[in-house]
Amino acid sequence: MASKAKPGAGALEGLALGLLLWRVQLQMFINQTIRSRQAGRIAGTIAGAAVILLAWSWEGFITWLGVQATHRVPLRVDAIHVLSLAFLAYTGVLVFSSLVFSLNALLLNPDLDMLLAAPRSVESVLASRMVVQVLRLFLLSLLFTAPALLLLAIVNGNPLIPLAFAMLFLLYPVFVVVIISLMSLLLVRIIPVGRGREVLTLFGVALAIGINLANFLLNPALRDPSFTRHPGVASSLPDIPAASSSWLPSGWAGRSGAAVLGGDWLLAGQWVLVLLAASVAIFAAGSVLSGRLYMAGWIQAVPPRRRHAAPRVRRLKGAVPLLSPVLAAVVIKDWRMRTRDLAQLVRFVMPVVFIFIIFGLRFPRVLSAVRGLGGGPPAAMIGLIPAWILLFSLSISLGLSAVSLEGKSFWVYAASPNSTLRFLQAKCWSTALPTASVVALAALAAEIIIRPGWLWAVTAVLLAIAEAAAVTTLMVGIGAVFARFDWTDARRMMHPVGVFIGMGLFSIISGVSALLLVISIALAAVTRFPLFTTWLAALTIAVGGAIAVAALGILFGNQHLRGLEVG
Amino acid sequence: MVLSTRLLTKRYGSLTAVEDLDLEVGAGELFGFLGPNGAGKTTTIKMLVGLLRPTSGNARVAGIDIAAEPEAAKALIGYVPDAATLYDKLSAREFLEFSGDLYHVERRLRDRRITALLKLFDLQERGDDFLSGYSRGMRQKVSLAAALLHDPQVLFLDEPTVGLDPQSARQMKDILQDFCREGKTVFFSTHILEIAERMCTRLAIINHGRLVAMGTLQDLRHMVGQDGQTLEQVFLELTGSREEDVSAVLRGLES
Repeated sequence: MASKAKPGAGALEGLALGLLLWRVQLQMFINQTIRSRQAGRIAGTIAGAAVILLAWSWEGFITWLGVQATHRVPLRVDAIHVLSLAFLAYTGVLVFSSLVFSLNALLLNPDLDMLLAAPRSVESVLASRMVVQVLRLFLLSLLFTAPALLLLAIVNGNPLIPLAFAMLFLLYPVFVVVIISLMSLLLVRIIPVGRGREVLTLFGVALAIGINLANFLLNPALRDPSFTRHPGVASSLPDIPAASSSWLPSGWAGRSGAAVLGGDWLLAGQWVLVLLAASVAIFAAGSVLSGRLYMAGWIQAVPPRRRHAAPRVRRLKGAVPLLSPVLAAVVIKDWRMRTRDLAQLVRFVMPVVFIFIIFGLRFPRVLSAVRGLGGGPPAAMIGLIPAWILLFSLSISLGLSAVSLEGKSFWVYAASPNSTLRFLQAKCWSTALPTASVVALAALAAEIIIRPGWLWAVTAVLLAIAEAAAVTTLMVGIGAVFARFDWTDARRMMHPVGVFIGMGLFSIISGVSALLLVISIALAAVTRFPLFTTWLAALTIAVGGAIAVAALGILFGNQHLRGLEVG
Repeated sequence: MVLSTRLLTKRYGSLTAVEDLDLEVGAGELFGFLGPNGAGKTTTIKMLVGLLRPTSGNARVAGIDIAAEPEAAKALIGYVPDAATLYDKLSAREFLEFSGDLYHVERRLRDRRITALLKLFDLQERGDDFLSGYSRGMRQKVSLAAALLHDPQVLFLDEPTVGLDPQSARQMKDILQDFCREGKTVFFSTHILEIAERMCTRLAIINHGRLVAMGTLQDLRHMVGQDGQTLEQVFLELTGSREEDVSAVLRGLES
C-alpha cells in the first residue's frame, strides 16, 4: 500500500480523490433530501431551508443596522485586531470540529477500508479526508457569513469582498485540519479497537465544557464588574492581544480581511499569498507524513481490551427489589448499557456539570439574592430551579431515548414472550428511577441551603420527585411513538419531532405547575384560606395532571409499539 | 405438526415478498429453507417468529397461532437472526442472563444453563468480555446460546453458519442435530447447500416469494426427474438459475 510516487503526488491525488468523495457526499445528501421521494424528508429539507433563509434575513438586518450605526456614530475600531480575534476564535471551532471529524473518519466510518482497498496510495486516501473536511468547513463558514459579506459588498460598492473572504475561508482551515489529522493518526494508535465512540464523546464533553467555561470567563455580560480590561479594546469584546501577531495565521487572515474592507487590494493579496503558500506547503507535507504515520502502525497495533470481570459477589445478579424478573432484566441491562458507554453516560452527567458551571460559579451572589426573599413558598419554589433544569435535561435525554436505546437489538425483546406494555413499564423504571433520584437530591440540596421552612421544603421536594417520575414517564411514551431503531450514532437516537413535542409538553407541564403554585399563594392571600391548604391543593392538581398526561403518553407509545414490525 | 403455515403472505405495498406459503414441519425435524437472495426466506422466518405480521394467511407453532397469541408462541421459539445485533456493552454472560430473564427462565436454572452453554460453545474464557470485542462467529455463537437458553421447542435460524470457521460450523451442526434428537425442531435458512444436503431431514425451496418444492432430498430429485443429482444441481434447476447466462455476461465484460 505504500506510495512510491514522488513527494506531492499523494497530495495532488488526494485533492482529486477528495473532490470525488465530496461529490459523492453531496449526491448522498441530495438523495436523502430532495430526491428521497419521502414527504417527511422533503418537508424537513424545505423547513431547514426556510430556517436558513430566516437566519440569513436576520443576519442581513443586523449587519445593515451595524453599518447604519457606524455611519451615524463614527467608531475607531482596530479592524485587523478584531478580524484576527474572530479568526483565532474560529480556530478553536476548527480544532474541535477537525478532531471529531478526523477521529470519526479513522475509527467509525466503515468506508475507510473500502477506500484503502482501492488502487490509491495511503497518502492520497488520508489527504482526501483532509480535503473533504476543508471543503465542509469552507461551506459552513460561507453559510454563516454569506449575508453579512453580501451586504458589506453592496454598502462598500465592491462585489469582490465576498470572493476575497471566501478565499480566506477556504485557505484558513487547511493548517488546522492537517495538524489535527496528523495528531489524530498518532492518537488512534493508543485507542483500543471499539473505543472510538467513547473517545469522540470525551472530546465532545471537553468542547462543551470549554465553550461554557470560555463563555463564562470571557463573556463581558457574565464577567465581574471588578475585572480589569486591557486598554483600548471595546468593552463588549473579549481580548487576546496575540491574536493579531504577524507570526500567526490568524494575524495573516486578519490583515488580509482588514485590507479587503479598506480597499487595499495589493496588501490583501500579499497576505493571502502568505496564507496560500503556508497552506500548500503544510498540505503537501501533511499528506506525506500522514501516509508514513499510517504505515508505521495504525490502530491494529492495539488489541481489543480484555475485561477483568468483577468478583461475582459485586455484580448485579439480575434482581431488583419489587420488580419482576423481566422488568429487572431490562432495568439492569439499560443501566449497564448507559454506564458502560461513555456517550450514554455523558447524557446523564453533563446536566450536572452544566448546573455546576451555571450556578456553582455564581453561587454566593445567587444565594444572597434568594435568601433575600425570606422563608415560605416562593423561596421553596425558587429552590426547585436547579432541580427543574436537571429534570428538563435528564427526562429528555434519558426518557426520550429509552426505547430507541435498544437500537437494532430490539429484536431480542420483540422475539421474547413479553408484551410491549411490560417493555414500556421497564423503560419507565430504568429512566424515572435515576432521574427522580438526581432531581430529588438537587432539590433537597437547594432547599437545605435556602431554608424556606421545613414544611415548604419537604412539599417542594416531594413535588419535584413526583413530577420527575411523571415527566420522565411521559418522555418514555413520546420516545416510543418516535422510536428509532436504526441508529448507529448515539446522537441520532432521538427523533427531532419527538424532541420538539417533548420539550413543548415539558414547558407546558412546568408552566402550569408553577402557575398553580402562584395561584395557590394568591388565593390564600385573597380568601384567607390557610396557605398550606391551597399550596397542597395546587401540588395535588399539578402532580395529578402530570401523571394523567404521562399515562396518555404511555398509552400512545404502547399503541405504536404494538403495531411495529421488526423488519 | 410442530410448525405449519397456511397461505402465508407478506406484501410491502405493490411488492409481494412471500405469497401463499404452505409449510408443514414435524417434531424432531431439521428443516432446511433454501432460496436465492431476495427469495423471501428472511421475511418468512420473521413472520414465523412474530417479528413481522403476515398480510394474510397464518402460521402456527405447536398449534398456537403466532399472530393471535404471540407471547405464548414465542415462549416455544428460539430465534437466531442472520446478523445478530447484540448489546455491545454487555458481556456474553450478562447478555445470556438478560436473555434468560426475558424468557422467564428461573434464576438458578438460568445460571446453570449459561455456564453449560458457554462451555459448549468454547466461550467460558471470554464470557466476561464485552460483546463489542467479539468476532462475528463468536457473536453468532452467543446468539445461538441465547436462543437455546430457554429450551425452546422450535429453533429458527437465519443463515446460522455465516461467519463461522469450519470447526465452529461443525460444532453448530452437531448441536443442532442433538437438539433434533430430543424431539425438537430446527428450521433454518442457508445458502450453503452442502450443509443443507448433509444435515436436513427435509427441505423447502422458495423463489420469488413462492414455494417451489418441499420434501426430502430424494423427493426433490424425483421432482426434477434426475436421481443422483447434488442438492446444488436440484436447487439451480428449480430456481431457474442458468450458468450459461453468467458465462455470457462475464465474456461480455472482457470484450
